[in-house]
Amino acid sequence: MLRLLVFAVALAFGFAQEITVLTHESFSLDKGLIARFERDTGLKLRFLKAGDAGEVLNRAILTKGAPIADVIYGVDNTFLSRALEADVLLPYRSPEVRNLKATLLLDPTFRALPVDYGWVSLNYDRAFFRERPLPKTPQDLARPEYARLLVVQNPATSSPGLAFLMATVARFGEDGYLDFWARLRDGGVRVAKGWSEAYYTHFSLYKGDRPLVVSYATSPAAEVYYSEGKYKEPPTGNLFPELAFFQVEFVGILKGTKNLEGARKVVDWFLSKPVQENLPTEMWMYPARRDARLPEVFRFAPEPLGSVRLDPKVMAQNRERWIEEWTKVVLQGQSPEAVRRARR
Amino acid sequence: MVRLAGGFLLLFLGLALFYPFGRILALGVGEGFSRALTNPYYWGRYLWSLEYGFLSALLTLLLALPLAFLFRRRFPFREGFLALATLPFVLPTPVVALGFLALLGPRGVLGVDLYGTKALLLLAALFYNLGLALRVLLPVALRLEGPMGAARVLGATPLRAFLRVGLPLLLPALASAGLLVFLYTFSAFGVPLLLGGPRYATLEVEVYTLLAQRLAFAEASGLMLLELLTLGLLAWLYLRVPAYPLGPSRLLPSRRPWALALGMGALFLLLYAPLFALLAEVRLEALAQAWGSQDFTPLPQALGNSLRFALLAFLLALPLGVAYGVAARGSPGLDLLGLLPLMVSPVAVGLGYLLAYPGLRGSLPLLLGAYALLAYPLLARALLPALRSLPPSLLEAARVLGATPLRAFLRVELPLLLPALASGSALALSALLGEFGASLVLWRPEWTTLTLAIYERLGRPGEGPYREALALSALLAFLSTALFYLLDRGRGGFR
Repeated sequence: MLRLLVFAVALAFGFAQEITVLTHESFSLDKGLIARFERDTGLKLRFLKAGDAGEVLNRAILTKGAPIADVIYGVDNTFLSRALEADVLLPYRSPEVRNLKATLLLDPTFRALPVDYGWVSLNYDRAFFRERPLPKTPQDLARPEYARLLVVQNPATSSPGLAFLMATVARFGEDGYLDFWARLRDGGVRVAKGWSEAYYTHFSLYKGDRPLVVSYATSPAAEVYYSEGKYKEPPTGNLFPELAFFQVEFVGILKGTKNLEGARKVVDWFLSKPVQENLPTEMWMYPARRDARLPEVFRFAPEPLGSVRLDPKVMAQNRERWIEEWTKVVLQGQSPEAVRRARR
Repeated sequence: MVRLAGGFLLLFLGLALFYPFGRILALGVGEGFSRALTNPYYWGRYLWSLEYGFLSALLTLLLALPLAFLFRRRFPFREGFLALATLPFVLPTPVVALGFLALLGPRGVLGVDLYGTKALLLLAALFYNLGLALRVLLPVALRLEGPMGAARVLGATPLRAFLRVGLPLLLPALASAGLLVFLYTFSAFGVPLLLGGPRYATLEVEVYTLLAQRLAFAEASGLMLLELLTLGLLAWLYLRVPAYPLGPSRLLPSRRPWALALGMGALFLLLYAPLFALLAEVRLEALAQAWGSQDFTPLPQALGNSLRFALLAFLLALPLGVAYGVAARGSPGLDLLGLLPLMVSPVAVGLGYLLAYPGLRGSLPLLLGAYALLAYPLLARALLPALRSLPPSLLEAARVLGATPLRAFLRVELPLLLPALASGSALALSALLGEFGASLVLWRPEWTTLTLAIYERLGRPGEGPYREALALSALLAFLSTALFYLLDRGRGGFR
């Protein structure tokens, strides 16, 4: 009887000490790091994965009353405003905040803390462009000879696709971006469902026929890292820093958590040096900490200078409309004028 | 007996489907509902979904029917070919797309670029569903020799015997297979998008975008009810197809077994060329790399998870499938209800789980329940035509001789159903290995299965991950072929 009671207490205690982290499908961290955190704190970490950043946040919003996790990781700056407006996060000014790059602190209420950042960027196949000239300006991309070499992702089903669409809005403005896309469409740009399809079935480095692809600024470095020594130099390169789209990924504590103390420890842990130094080769993002050292292979992933940025509020307000207008122009073949007229 | 089976099925459906799905529909009561239904864009998607579903079902049946008749005969490698036919069913869609484009894409080996054409989409639908249709047709086709032989003895030509006797008897199975193919293609998610681009998105893709990305419940509910209505109507039509009792199943000898084997080999080589194109690229080193992978889920763990989940979920899907079969035989209403898991949008059910059972998120029972939900209708579909064709006199005789209903079922009917049961089990298990269920629930990294491990690798840029993904796909393909082969062997001994 006594043993049973002890067991029950231990069980209840065990449940109370479990911290659930809701995250997106690309999340990945070294298992040793996770084990060490569990050993040091006595907390048990449980990760739950679902879809991309948007889907993850939506699940948190949907279950606002009875939260399905204590901590959410992976909400990015394109969804930041939605997360803050939906009021699903608790403020927490972690002691680690002072170690983070100040430009990344996009939420002054400290409900969403930056963990890592990166860029969605155009990649090109070096072998293909060895004898042929690269496009010189972003406008050149829309010329038929380049548009038919490009594969992008559908912004309605893919987050890099959405990021690239937003980059064109930032670069060409509300009036110009639809014209740019109409020219891409007429020139024969290809639209893939998601990143994997674009990269592995349409990009000419793999199975495809398109030497220009929307990917990440770190992809060339990843190509070297994963090539098992085959490449000394990346087989791909980044193009047009001015069309790269800046992304920050945040961590936050979900309102309604039963273990606030534990949730705070997890947030601190995400911002701690060991995790921050593990991030780059696990998720191919740059660490938010100022003093985190980058792995050697990141010399192939220089940060693009002069990339475009949009205010999170503007993104939250216009995201749906941009996707809708893009769909009308690129997929349904409507003219930019007609779409702009429909706005009013 | 029927009531017991029906009760069990309804209890499971109520918990695993009606309640969570209802929670999502309840969120959708609002003005956006009619807005979705008056939007011409969505009607365009709807018409295309209908077209794709119908054409795919038609094409698949046109090829599956003669094949089912050929597979009634014994010839070398017969079981091997049958096992191969269901293989695409388990492969993740990006991998299949890779294979198709490697062959018929812009840089395809054959030199024809079919990317973005309807022809390629229909070819893919055929590739995916042929095995499915064959599985449903074959158990009935194997029972046709009695009646068709009788017709020939009475003076009918073989053609006449087929048209006037064989075909009408096969009609329920044809309807069943056609309906199943339609269900899968009408609500197809990945294949049309991957091979045809967003122009060929089905209505289901719009539902997904509305629900998962935009939380637009009203619009989504409108579209989901439209889908349900369409599929419900079709299912109801299918229920009106009459079924006739048939004798035991029998494999026939072949006069030219090797010619048949050769012909079948040529056909399969042609049909499965996209797969072979991909398998040709697989390197053994990549498999070794995946085995001890530091960057991704290592192969042993993924393989163990796949086998464990498939087996556990199968233990739930098996009684459910049999219960559904038994219940559906007695009640057309239950027949319709039991098909619902294939008719409702998986995203809606997945979100519904979060609302209905927040405490169960990321728990094994929920995962297994979701798996079983999507697998049992497949098992039952293969079982039903055979179940319906059992002569009722058998059961009556057993009852008159004093057997309880349960005993009569277990000792008289079940043994006669074994071939169909093996066939259905193979289908259900392959669906479980190919994992449709995981998309329904939040999953834990330590639960990563083979399919998820493939997606994991295809999510990072680099040759290493790419080669490992191909190698894992090949392993998955091998696993499912072996599974079918073994289950078919069991059937081969039972004539």
